[in-house]
Amino acid sequence: MKFSWKPFILTLLVVLIVFPFAYMVLLSMASEWRFPDVLPNYFGLRNWTQIFSSETGLISSFVLSIVISLSVAFTSTLSGFLISRSVSYHPRKRLFTLLTYFPYILAPVVFAACLSYFFLMTGLFGSATGVIVAQFMIAFPYALIFFSSFWNERIRQYEELTATLGGNRRQTFLKVLLPLAKGMLLICFFQTFLISWFEYGLTSIIGVGKVQTLTIKVFLFIKEANFYYGALSCCLLIFPPVLLLYINKRYVFNKLI
Amino acid sequence: MLFFVLIGVVPFCAAFIYALLYSFGMVGVLNTGFTLAFWKSVFASGEVLGSFGYSAVVAAISVLLSVSIAMWVALKFTRELNKRFLSFIIYLPLAIPGIVAAFFTFQLFSKAGFFSRIAYSFGWITKVRFFPDLVNDQLSIGIMLTFITVVMPFFVLLFLNVYKNERVEELSKLAFSLGANSSQVTWKVTIPIILRKTWTLIALYFIFLLGAYEVPLILGQESPQMLSVLIIRELNQYDLSKISEGYVVAVIYTIVVSLAAIALFSRKKMTLNEI
Amino acid sequence: MFLEVKNIVKSFHNEAVVRDLNFSLDAHKTLSILGKSGCGKTTMLKIVAGLENADAGTISLGGKNIDNVKPGKRNVVYLYQEDLLFPHLNIFENIAFGLRIKKFPEKEIVEKVNAMVESLELNGQETKMPHQLSGGQRQRVSFGRAIITSPSLLLLDEPFGSLDAGTRQRMQEFFKSLTAKYQITSLFVTHDLKEAILMGDEIAFMQSGRLKVYKDKTDFINDPVTGVQNEIGFWENLIPGKVERETLRK
Repeated sequence: MKFSWKPFILTLLVVLIVFPFAYMVLLSMASEWRFPDVLPNYFGLRNWTQIFSSETGLISSFVLSIVISLSVAFTSTLSGFLISRSVSYHPRKRLFTLLTYFPYILAPVVFAACLSYFFLMTGLFGSATGVIVAQFMIAFPYALIFFSSFWNERIRQYEELTATLGGNRRQTFLKVLLPLAKGMLLICFFQTFLISWFEYGLTSIIGVGKVQTLTIKVFLFIKEANFYYGALSCCLLIFPPVLLLYINKRYVFNKLI
Repeated sequence: MLFFVLIGVVPFCAAFIYALLYSFGMVGVLNTGFTLAFWKSVFASGEVLGSFGYSAVVAAISVLLSVSIAMWVALKFTRELNKRFLSFIIYLPLAIPGIVAAFFTFQLFSKAGFFSRIAYSFGWITKVRFFPDLVNDQLSIGIMLTFITVVMPFFVLLFLNVYKNERVEELSKLAFSLGANSSQVTWKVTIPIILRKTWTLIALYFIFLLGAYEVPLILGQESPQMLSVLIIRELNQYDLSKISEGYVVAVIYTIVVSLAAIALFSRKKMTLNEI
Repeated sequence: MFLEVKNIVKSFHNEAVVRDLNFSLDAHKTLSILGKSGCGKTTMLKIVAGLENADAGTISLGGKNIDNVKPGKRNVVYLYQEDLLFPHLNIFENIAFGLRIKKFPEKEIVEKVNAMVESLELNGQETKMPHQLSGGQRQRVSFGRAIITSPSLLLLDEPFGSLDAGTRQRMQEFFKSLTAKYQITSLFVTHDLKEAILMGDEIAFMQSGRLKVYKDKTDFINDPVTGVQNEIGFWENLIPGKVERETLRK
């Protein structure tokens, strides 16, 4: 039989992919792991049990992150869906779509820095609401662009058909458009959830350290050189997206990202 | 429509105008009125230009390597990667955000990191300082490594998708039947088709990496810094005149990126969804 | 007359799509309209359905002017070439859709839909989802969904355009019997010559936004613009012996 190198490369690939996850979990369970030891002195669930009892605030960060991300995902998906309809059916659709790309393509952290003055003025600086509003501003363009492909000629025909069958706008929306868009709504929801969930720079600027989401925590632990807790918060950060992947790959992968 | 303008367009314009005014000294704590001083001093120092060039090079190398490796993996293992187990595994990297990837790279490649320890226990190095600079280093190897880890898996999935949707397999068979050999098929059929479909996204990823923040923040060095890091550092200075200079950089960056957006997306019927 | 369309004009970007449209139709009759794509027939149907506004002209239905009546209140159903079944509803619910929107009592809905399923010869398919049906079956469901709301007027835009030849022929016959049974008044747009002649009680030809209604089918057949003569010539040319006669006549 001819020698095949493919399985080796594939195995290597799998190892490379799984390694970070394994290493993070390992690191989160380790302590007293000093150079040059290859393996840690202590290995167990100590760090994990500590986060439930101590004042590291990881649990509250986790909950806060979930609340923020859910709010951002919900508002941006719904408003993106509704507003993308008027944008897509507008005769100047192309210009508007181009306008949405500007905030989408800009680095969120720079966007936030330039907007921080307005957040200061409105009193949203350093509050969870402010972070939600700021994250909404970057998730919303994503949702708009995401849904622009939904509103095609066929959907318009469905709308017209429903109208001639006697449906009013509300019925058309609730009984036809929402069910037709269900799959896309779900994907957009999780995508915007992840945009918010992974966001660091923007949150750090608008939240000024007072709104401690998980990403902020990770960074704080890194700065304190508390790598075990850092790894632990990384695990918490990675867990929801992995769960989503398990449910449906499409929730996490999308051409737009 | 009103809502669209209100939440889609107004924030961007407000941010831009505010940064513009600040950069000309028309708003801000210490500023007294219109002046070109900040713009002049930014251009005089050359740091911004350096940062621009540096960011562009780092982003370009990362994207180029990611696309090449991803293309190779996607084409060599098209069939294998569509099998059940692997098709799930290759999605896993998408669950890792930039900040975690940066942390991970730091843990592995820093002087006291995992690989340094392994090298030590094998006797390849005898002191920590003999381990090569791979994070916070002058060549930005750590940053690029992390960028590639984050971006490459995405491109693999993208290329696999395009391969399937564009029916590249059938087209390749057609090319074979027309007498092409396998390297001709790869270089003249498969890769051109995939790149044609994805180049907008590739360009978009270049822009994203250009403005990346967390990764260079953790793995970068003092100078030159990547754009976002530089901008934020300037804006957080105690020296108030530096803040205005930071806004100058922000304005330049915004203009460049917006022009890129126009170039990428203003062409007829070109939106990402049609890729 | 039941449907009267007078002096309808419509243009997009200064380009006239429908010019001075005039026709009328008796109740329970089908007017078939022959026209190539881009001749303005779809725009004409959409104006009648109220989905597009005409620049000028009036439409009355059953003696009442409907120019300012919204599509949902006109009781005019417009059907596209594609069946446009709702993918999230099963066959029963697809047919029941219009009745549910109009908030009919549940008992009446079940009765009517069951009767319709019977007429559509779709017994036993009620719980299937649209993608499980064949093209012809889906098109029948689409008809049923429209007819069950007892529309005053049914507008069909190339309804069999996406079906294969055999199915198409069966559907033509089926549609004729269905319209007779439910006493449907309809406008039937097609680019197929045979279908136009077959389906219509009356027949019209549309070209560059102008519609010409013929007194009867003989008139239609004799008018060279409709292409019927051309078609006859083609077949005659194929049969030897007739060719000479043809040339002699000329």
